Amino acid sequence: MVGALRVAIAEDAAILRDGLVQLLVDRGFVITGAVAEPGALRSSIAQNPPDVAVIDIRMPPTFTDEGLRLALELRARHEGLGILLFSQYIETRYAADLLADDAAGIGYLLKDRVADVSDFVEALERVAIGGTALDPEVVTQLIGATRRTDTLSGLTMREREVLALMAEGRSNGAIATALVISEGAVEKHVANIFAKLDLPVSEYDHRRVLAVLRFLES
Amino acid sequence: MTLATEDAPPEERKESKGVSFAITEEQVYRVKTLAQRILREPFTRRPWMELAFFLVSGGLAGIGLAFIGATMLTGVVLAITFFGLAVLGLSLRSARGLGRWQRDLAHNMLGETIEEPGAFIRRPGFFGWLQSVLRDRVAWRAVGYHAIKVPWTILGVYVAFSLWWDAFSCLLEPIFWRNNNGPGTFGLISNIFLPNNPLQGPTGFDRSVALFFLGLIFFFAAPWVMRGFVTVDKLLIRALLGPDPIAARVRTLEQARSHTVDASAATLRRIERDLHDGTQAQLVALAMRLGMAKEKLDDGETVDLDRVRQLIDEAHRGAKEAITELRDIARGIHPPALDIGLEGALATLASRSAVPTELHYDVHARPTPAIEAIAYYCLAELLANVAQHAHASRASVSCAQTGSWLRLVVRDDGRGGARLSTVGSSSSGLAGLTDRVRTVDGRLDLVSPDGGPTVVTIDLPLSV
Repeated sequence: MVGALRVAIAEDAAILRDGLVQLLVDRGFVITGAVAEPGALRSSIAQNPPDVAVIDIRMPPTFTDEGLRLALELRARHEGLGILLFSQYIETRYAADLLADDAAGIGYLLKDRVADVSDFVEALERVAIGGTALDPEVVTQLIGATRRTDTLSGLTMREREVLALMAEGRSNGAIATALVISEGAVEKHVANIFAKLDLPVSEYDHRRVLAVLRFLES
Repeated sequence: MTLATEDAPPEERKESKGVSFAITEEQVYRVKTLAQRILREPFTRRPWMELAFFLVSGGLAGIGLAFIGATMLTGVVLAITFFGLAVLGLSLRSARGLGRWQRDLAHNMLGETIEEPGAFIRRPGFFGWLQSVLRDRVAWRAVGYHAIKVPWTILGVYVAFSLWWDAFSCLLEPIFWRNNNGPGTFGLISNIFLPNNPLQGPTGFDRSVALFFLGLIFFFAAPWVMRGFVTVDKLLIRALLGPDPIAARVRTLEQARSHTVDASAATLRRIERDLHDGTQAQLVALAMRLGMAKEKLDDGETVDLDRVRQLIDEAHRGAKEAITELRDIARGIHPPALDIGLEGALATLASRSAVPTELHYDVHARPTPAIEAIAYYCLAELLANVAQHAHASRASVSCAQTGSWLRLVVRDDGRGGARLSTVGSSSSGLAGLTDRVRTVDGRLDLVSPDGGPTVVTIDLPLSV
């Protein structure tokens, strides 16, 4: 990575906002703005564009899905801006809306994940450079929500584990580490999965996530 | 109209003499207004409209009763066959329809608006229909109305005709006095009140004048007698053709239930919001700080102990804050103070209030937990209102038992002007309390003139 990543934060709970700023500054990020509501983030991004925006889903005025709508809007307006949605709960519906077009530069994490600082920072960096970071919870729910589980039933246990990690946006190397197997084995599993699910292989990580999710959502 | 104004002064004088020596201006004014009202009444539209209503609705009721009676009789006679049952059912259905006509008549001619009774709910199938019809309380009440209305109309028409007829025949007597037979009288007066009928018989000039004045009295009395009949009829319509009291009760309960459901949903939402914005955020921040501290300790050779200490210190403070918040939220769900009894709980509230508050407690029986909780929340809300809005220097709370009721009175010496609800969709805390109290059939009364004092009285049943 070249130079410090620039991050904007929109989170209405002051305690969490301050904590995030502290954490990210500590890790060498540059904070372009830390605000409490959608409007303020819009102007902050216009004045001082970041690489990635961390957005709380429930924000004023209605505390429902302001953050999600803001994310969709920002995505349409600022090409290449990474967006990490940050929420107390996972709503499958939100994830589906968010990933409807393209999973590049999108993250959706439970707030709890900040407790594992390194994982969180890694996810943020991945989103900033155009990758994907989905909470394992999101993946579980998406897989649970899909109606075409019969197709997935053709996968072995190991292949499902690999698919879930893949859907989180992890690279083959990361999957290999997580499952304590060799990278070659992971590649073989991925190829099997694509074959079983009838998906063409692509060179970009986020493309395969998109493909997987598209399939799960169909 | 001219007649009325000319006659007013003597009436007034006569009346005033009887009252007392010291007649106030106001009494004079009142007597004057009353006299004017009586004298003007026969020349207004209302008594004639009432008479017309009485005749029309009486006629309709007569036809209706004849029809209902005939069809019912047929139905009962043929009850052994399906046909008889069907006739009976149709009879009841038409009773319902006739009831609606009567209601509409009262609305159009008397301006009396009576709420619609509950709609007929039909069950599927012929027997379902029959069962619903035979159990239709609205229809049976309409039958009852017709049964009472017809004799009442006969009596009313008889009285009305006697009065109006006698009034006009007496008034016209001076013109026709030479016929020497006295006025042609009819009905009530001549047959019941005056059996020997002194009105009839040879008349002279003075007797004619006396009869003329008697006619005047009848003329001005007639509208009021008619009004009496119509008023009774209106009460009948209200009682028998309006909504069923049981149905009304059911509706009230349904409303109360929906308030309860909404209120509990709102409460759950508020608790979720409190947990989400408060405790959860606190705990996430806490976990984040601990995570950072952990990673710093894992760094190996260059552990920045000061930074770690600072992070742990912040986490420690955050944990304590989270505990406090959690306790407040738990208290909002169920006040632990209630565990020691209502008196202790109310006393705690009173002593915690920002405005000096004294409590009088006189309840021997222990209310059920739901009532205690409502009383507690009401007092908490009311004392908060006193502290925030009333600008009061002191407040007093009385909680006393009368029979099976609990009466909670909160008084303050503030500036008053409190209202039950604000304009628009947002309702004040008081309106919310009213809803809450109504869920258990209690009531809330507010007296708060501008300038104060404000008194809120809440009555709750001891048990629900």
